[in-house]
Amino acid sequence: MLSSMFESSTIPLLEQVVNFTQSRHGVLAGNIANIDTPGYKTRDLSVENFQARLQDAIAAKRQASESPTYALNAQLAGRPTGSGTENWERVREASKDILFHDNHDVSLETQVTEISKNQAQHNLALTIMNAQFRLLRAAVTERT
Amino acid sequence: MFNALDVSTSGLVAQRTRLNAISSNLANMSTTRNEAGEPDPYTPRFVVFKTDENITTSGGGQGVSIDRVEYANVEPNLKYEPGHPDANAEGYVAYPNIDMTTEFVDALGASRAYEANIGVIEVTKDMGERTLQILA
Repeated sequence: MLSSMFESSTIPLLEQVVNFTQSRHGVLAGNIANIDTPGYKTRDLSVENFQARLQDAIAAKRQASESPTYALNAQLAGRPTGSGTENWERVREASKDILFHDNHDVSLETQVTEISKNQAQHNLALTIMNAQFRLLRAAVTERT
Repeated sequence: MFNALDVSTSGLVAQRTRLNAISSNLANMSTTRNEAGEPDPYTPRFVVFKTDENITTSGGGQGVSIDRVEYANVEPNLKYEPGHPDANAEGYVAYPNIDMTTEFVDALGASRAYEANIGVIEVTKDMGERTLQILA
């Protein structure tokens, strides 16, 4: 009952966004730390890949709510199951594939901008998550 | 909103490159030989910008990128120094034709433009944060 309360909201999705942006922040911070390291190749996490996987998981979740056998069939076919924590497994893996950029003109400015954008996305997800929890608390305590 | 950040960043990169060229010109103010060690005075260089159609915002804003680095088309300054190893048959040494005042004013312009781009980045970030506050 409690799990379905969280499951039906956007909280698991936002959790994935926060996870990913935190991992990406670590990678980008490493780039800044190594700005003067000879032979260092800047690395990054693929945002496109993450967004695509997130989209797949959301679509699967929507389909699973319509068809009761969807999750089972998807699990057998190795697709996102649409329900439970295993639905987000492929999304979670997106924070592990590290990209290497070999273009020579990756500058401090570009890296800092990427960090800012990533931070904005992280804060956006957390703000929405906060609003969700506040909504739940208002329902539980019958107060706003 | 994120595209606006990319446009401002391209401005930062361009202005820093321009500043690099200026500091190179100032550092080589008295350089009379090229990298091979042959007598050849340093030619001042400057960076040429172009609008970058790969960086765009929804409002039609465009980013900037480095088109090329050009060499100034100026004759070297001849100074009479007969004892100098690089002096020619008449005793004149060819020094780079670099005007310190011009270079400093350019440096100031580049650094102000850099600051302006940072200012725009701050405004963009502030706008994003304020949009978030609607939710909070």
